[in-house]
Amino acid sequence: MLSGLVARVKSLWTGMRRRDAVEAEMSSEFQHHLELRAADLRRSGMAPDEAARRARHEFGMVEVHSGAARNARGLNNVDRIRFSWLDLKLGFRMLGRYPGLTIVGGLAIAFAIWVGASVFEFVGQMVRPRLPLNGGERVVSLRLWNAESSEEEFRVAFDFAAWRRELRTVGDLGAYRALQRNLTITEGFGEPVEVVEIGASAFRLAPEPPLLGRALLPADELDGAPAVLVLAFDLWRTRFGADTGIVGRVIRLGGSATTIVGVMPRGFKFPISPQLWVPMRLQFANYLPTDGPGLKVFGRLAQGASIEDAQTEMASLGSRSSADHPLTHRHLRPQVRRFEKSIISLDNIESAALLSINLFLAMLLVLICGNVALLLFARAATRESEIVVRSALGAGRRRIVGQFVAEALVLGGLAAIVGLVATKAGLRWWLGVIDSAEGNLPFWFSDTLGPWTIVYAVALMLLSAAIMGILPALKVTRRLADRLRASAAGGGGPSIGGIWTVLIVGQIAVTVAFPVLTYFIQRDVTQIKSLDVGFADNEYLTALVSLDPVEGDTAAVDRTMFQARFSESVEKLNAMLADEAVVRGVTFGDRLPRMYHEHRLVELDSGAAAPLNPSWPAYRVSAAYLDRNFFDVVGVPILQGRNFHSGDVASGSRTIIVNESFVRLVLGGRNPVGRQLRVVKFENQDKVIPEEERGPWYEIVGVVRDMGLAPYQPHDPKYAGFYFPVDARSIYPIRLAIHVNGDPITFGPRLRFLAEKADASLQIDAVKPLDSVQDGNLQFYAFWMQITTVLCGMALLLSLAGIYSVMSFTVARRTREIGVRVALGADRRRLIMTVFRRPLGQVAIGVAVGTVLVTLFAWSIMSDRMGLVHLGLIAAYAILMLGVCLLACAMPTRRALAIEPTEALRAE
Amino acid sequence: MAPSTDILPGTLDLLILKAVSLGRLHGYGVLLRIEQISGGALQIQQGALYPALYRLEHQGLILSEWGVSENNRKAKYYRLSAIGRRRLGEETAGWNRLAEAIARSLAATPQEI
Repeated sequence: MLSGLVARVKSLWTGMRRRDAVEAEMSSEFQHHLELRAADLRRSGMAPDEAARRARHEFGMVEVHSGAARNARGLNNVDRIRFSWLDLKLGFRMLGRYPGLTIVGGLAIAFAIWVGASVFEFVGQMVRPRLPLNGGERVVSLRLWNAESSEEEFRVAFDFAAWRRELRTVGDLGAYRALQRNLTITEGFGEPVEVVEIGASAFRLAPEPPLLGRALLPADELDGAPAVLVLAFDLWRTRFGADTGIVGRVIRLGGSATTIVGVMPRGFKFPISPQLWVPMRLQFANYLPTDGPGLKVFGRLAQGASIEDAQTEMASLGSRSSADHPLTHRHLRPQVRRFEKSIISLDNIESAALLSINLFLAMLLVLICGNVALLLFARAATRESEIVVRSALGAGRRRIVGQFVAEALVLGGLAAIVGLVATKAGLRWWLGVIDSAEGNLPFWFSDTLGPWTIVYAVALMLLSAAIMGILPALKVTRRLADRLRASAAGGGGPSIGGIWTVLIVGQIAVTVAFPVLTYFIQRDVTQIKSLDVGFADNEYLTALVSLDPVEGDTAAVDRTMFQARFSESVEKLNAMLADEAVVRGVTFGDRLPRMYHEHRLVELDSGAAAPLNPSWPAYRVSAAYLDRNFFDVVGVPILQGRNFHSGDVASGSRTIIVNESFVRLVLGGRNPVGRQLRVVKFENQDKVIPEEERGPWYEIVGVVRDMGLAPYQPHDPKYAGFYFPVDARSIYPIRLAIHVNGDPITFGPRLRFLAEKADASLQIDAVKPLDSVQDGNLQFYAFWMQITTVLCGMALLLSLAGIYSVMSFTVARRTREIGVRVALGADRRRLIMTVFRRPLGQVAIGVAVGTVLVTLFAWSIMSDRMGLVHLGLIAAYAILMLGVCLLACAMPTRRALAIEPTEALRAE
Repeated sequence: MAPSTDILPGTLDLLILKAVSLGRLHGYGVLLRIEQISGGALQIQQGALYPALYRLEHQGLILSEWGVSENNRKAKYYRLSAIGRRRLGEETAGWNRLAEAIARSLAATPQEI
């Protein structure tokens, strides 16, 4: 069946491509037949002329047989809708003849294809990525799944040893874990880097050998082997200046001297986009079940083995482990999955939801194509006489539609090329934005377009060509014969009917409504930037301070000892900072103003309070842990009660300070000092804590002003919250706030130097002025602003072009009528208003519908905060958009006013 | 010569496949071969042969190539393809079954009822 289908397609293609040659061959074959038959008849004694006549008679009508032969090859169907190369050449000529439509329509289609292809590629890389590894599709991850708690068991050192020993279906097994270490190149300047401790087998997955030096080897994993590392390409380029002599250089990693033995090529970032790799030195054989650090395991399917085979073997090993170690492994199920699932795990429903975005964007393309089809219809209407003549000369409706589709294919083809080029550029930029904001984008994400993305873009292009070509063509070719008669009498012509009217009105409504998005985005950005935290935060430098874990097994490190070591180092650093001449004050917390603060649900003591929000079972507030000297250092006064003192950080002390919004929203303005609250639910919990398990009550000892607890809700910048007093022993990591004379960012390098001196294991990260901690999020806002601005611009362009086309079409169609009526004495201006009443009505309705959408959208965001001022702004905006739309009417109106009766009648 | 018989609808394709299975032929040659193997009983309307040939070629059952004919002229020759050979076998078996069934029906006597 397949071979038959292939043969048919091949035959059809040959017939279409070599049409003339095929026709000539058929004629030659028929001629040959006639000659042979005539020769046979001559041999039987017939005269040559008679033989030739008889042969032709026996053969029958050549034209009939040719038609039947053509039909037998399936070419008749193609004939009905075929378009020739001439149609495509005409399509190119039309692009130049109507440059405005080419630019507007082409940009609109290119935009739709760009968005569609970009999202298709991005979603594809999430749902079904192509791993840039040796045999990427066969790289798998192995894990233990706890069937009882429905979560992954990461302590797999014991099992890894068994898998490595016994598995036959998976080879090149390796384990890895992610760490952060201080990298010190120049003495005194350490910076944390993302490190992966990994087995050497990982480098067998690299599609290319190391750029410099060598990769990690099994010998590097042995206990006592020299400390080595391999650099990732990006770190080598940015921190080491792409030094080609880097191999053999000794640097400090986490306080230990380590030799750089190699640099990997650009693009190799297995498994989680680290900045460098160090050998895995854990002695797996020494671990007991579910003992040891958290690890992830990878491997590659053996030759001829499938994932199902590997799963079967793993299940068998898992059964044995359950029997041998029932206490730890009774509920643990070994699983094998494609590697990317260990990084981005999407179930079928989530994958389907992501893929359905493509459907939504295809609909966007259909909508845009509908609008461009309107422009093409207006253009087609000016070619009515050409179409009518072609029809009279024998061109069927399908043939004419085919010509329109060919012209639309040319426009769509060029738009697809532009769209695909933009897709690659846009994808590179978008991935860069995500990587810098979120960090650690999965290593396989790239700006390379997969073959299916290109196929998808071509499919979108064909769909757009079909819509842009068929819709206007069907409209223009409807009842051609009637219009041929009507045009001879001076009337007739296609009109803009119901569907097109809806399209125009809808387009204008979207154009009016969409820019409101940019208003709200800009409003949020402005509110974030103008947030008043109550002190000069532009004079403060903030940094995230953490500690390199002890070398080796982190799970064995006692938490209390670790915290004690950390707080000792932080206190040492704080003391050194206080001695710096430019430093005016140092404080810290787990969250600082302008940063996101976690929510809690709290209950109050039995005193009076504000009514509860019915959406929540308790009062929803934010909280932060702050150094007890925080308010003194930043200079924010206590408005009521007292500040924290040393006794508040003593063990057993339970005091807090609330902000003004807490007093207003939770206590209804009542005196807060002496009142008590306790937490009933933390943000990461699903349910409220049962009464008997709740923690202690905390007493409110003071009130401060609002200091920017909720930058993510800029429409409500004053948000209820409270603060716990802590010292450096109580929280990890901490965020320093250093009050500096002069530009705080210039103190950054000095801070790193002092941290290195205080403790080489201290990691200093996210160093920036306190007033710019939201820059990453503002970058996202800026990105969306750009997208919506482009969308608004596109919508406006299409609308104006659509209005212009409709008005021009109306003028062209009614030129004769206008000429006659002016000749009979009608007032020009009143006549123009009559002629344009319908299109202007469509504009007015579109603006009105758009205004309603704007009002509804604004109300959904602002609800009871919406007042007369806002309604006035909306009304002014509607008038502005009406004016902008009417601008598109200017040229056609001017043309209509300039119509001279003699010219109009002569043109007919 | 036996009296000629009209070709039953649907059988022309089968006859063409059989004719070219015996050796490559041009269009006129197919015509003559069918007459020959039927003992002159079957005569094809000449022009109607070619749509059938093109249909079979379109379906991939026969293949064509250009060669030189006996009158030293460029001619298009047809031969059976692998799937055509399979189809010929299937159709022949089907035809034989049908012919046997009809022959049995026509040979029925009143005693057998």
